[in-house]
Amino acid sequence: MLVDTHALRSVCDKLGRPLTTLAGAAGFRSLLTRALTLAKQESPVLCALEVQADGSLGGLNAEVAQSGAVLIAHLIGLMITFIGESLTLRLLHDVWLDLPDSSKKLERNEAR
Amino acid sequence: MNEQNRVKINQLPTGVPGLDEILGGGLPEFSFNIIAGSPGCGKTTLAHQFMFANATELRPALYFTVLGEPAMKMLRYQQQFTFFDAEKLNKSVRFVNLSQELVERGLQGVLKEISQQVEAASPSIVVVDSFRTVLRSEMHDGKDMAVQTFVQQLALLLTSWEATSFLIGEYSESELRDNPVFTVADGLLWLFQQVDRNSVVRKMQVMKLRGQASVPGLHTFRITEAGLQAFSRTLGLLGQRKAFRSVKRLSTGIPALDEMMGGGVPEGDSLLIAGSSGTGKSLMATQFLAAGIRAGEPGIAAVFEERPNEYTARASEFGLDLQTPLANGTLEVIYLRPLDLSVDEMMQEILDAVKRTGAKRLVIDSLAGFEMALAPSFRVDFRESLYRMILALTGIGITILSTLEMSETFTELLFSSYSISFLTDDIIRMRYVEIEGQLSQIMMVVKMRRGAHSREIRQYKITTDGIVIGERFRNYVDLITGIPQPLASMRSEEFSPNRKI
Repeated sequence: MLVDTHALRSVCDKLGRPLTTLAGAAGFRSLLTRALTLAKQESPVLCALEVQADGSLGGLNAEVAQSGAVLIAHLIGLMITFIGESLTLRLLHDVWLDLPDSSKKLERNEAR
Repeated sequence: MNEQNRVKINQLPTGVPGLDEILGGGLPEFSFNIIAGSPGCGKTTLAHQFMFANATELRPALYFTVLGEPAMKMLRYQQQFTFFDAEKLNKSVRFVNLSQELVERGLQGVLKEISQQVEAASPSIVVVDSFRTVLRSEMHDGKDMAVQTFVQQLALLLTSWEATSFLIGEYSESELRDNPVFTVADGLLWLFQQVDRNSVVRKMQVMKLRGQASVPGLHTFRITEAGLQAFSRTLGLLGQRKAFRSVKRLSTGIPALDEMMGGGVPEGDSLLIAGSSGTGKSLMATQFLAAGIRAGEPGIAAVFEERPNEYTARASEFGLDLQTPLANGTLEVIYLRPLDLSVDEMMQEILDAVKRTGAKRLVIDSLAGFEMALAPSFRVDFRESLYRMILALTGIGITILSTLEMSETFTELLFSSYSISFLTDDIIRMRYVEIEGQLSQIMMVVKMRRGAHSREIRQYKITTDGIVIGERFRNYVDLITGIPQPLASMRSEEFSPNRKI
């Protein structure tokens, strides 16, 4: 279970890096807060979670971390809303170099 | 210093069509530039175009955003332009937000962060947007010296690291004086957005550019899905004029008119067809184009009062096939009616069409429609702009036929309105006259700069085969007033015993 909280924190940190560069620390914090608000509606267990002033997650525990994917999905969803799927996938690919099939998925979507 | 010892300043393409010509060839490499103007005038888009045109993975572009438009939103909107290449994001083109540095550590914090990023990435291009907000944060309480020092240190840093840089700021013209930023800058490009009645006109001016001669004055530009496109006010005027060894005559498609003109329209001339509504000006223009196509001379029609398919359909009613040349590319019909057009844009359209088709003939139908399509502020300069356009197009060997609608008076004969007759080499005047209770039409060649022409006033008819020119009216006088008198009645009056002398 300890691994799960670490995983969520690590994913948030990794996503935070390009987003902080792009939008600034305050911009990243705003996006994460909005994503958390949306995620809480879907998964009430996330109500224990909060975004702290430095953009890190507070109130993280093993139970909350189980629903961490919902938060990340909403954060990526917000990125897609703002800058589109194409640029989002490229940014994600810069963070996770081995992200599977992102380019193929993109090509498929562009072809569609 | 002789030419061999002089340092060669490379010029970078701006990626903005038309702007390189205005700048005198491109933007000097390693120059420290300012793009200034009011909100929404295209400063950010211009910087993006330059970045995407020049940045490489080895020498990327760094785009610093500071308390202005967040990069996320910038990406959201800029990706709508066709020049935006998503492949370059985070590789050749990198965005860095400096808002926090400015808020927490002030100008020195910003300078330190820019230094670190520049030293790490070795960029060829650096943009700071908005630079104005960076300076405004400290331009108070007598901190002007701190601002000046910051600007100089930044300029020194970016130039030392061989970066061509842009500072983007919302400035008004009143701020030009005594501003350290403008003093330090090598280049100052000002973008304007002028509202005139209901139209908006965009213009740019190169206020300063060290090391090379730019084109002075205001140049119009447009923002489309492809980004900015600039139109130099000297567009087409800087190249060499085409010299004609011998004067070739081009057929108008109306044999009798060719005869009246001494063999046709001299190649490279500007011919004006003036007349009131319904006199057949557009038909004559269409016959001129069709004659060119038959002679293997591609043509362009710039029409303002009907759409291309309507134009070719009307031609076919007179047995003229313009649809085939339109389909095979030897004819282009340019239809522009945006109501905020500039003459320079029109000329660019025509020059592009000339390149595509190899056109020898151009029809502008009509000048009144053209003037209406211009933004109100450009209508003021219509005569001057038309002069430049005609000079530029005839200079590359195009023969121009323009139509001009004239209001008809029955006491005098006007040759053209706008006082533009001096712009044209040749003038043909068409008008109505009343003959024996019927409306007839007459035509005359009023002016031909490069040769003798007929002085006859000829009657003509519009038939299904086009314009058919008849004989000269021999038995009437005062034809050009529109209300001619039979010669016989004049003579009898002359010899009348009751005539007072």
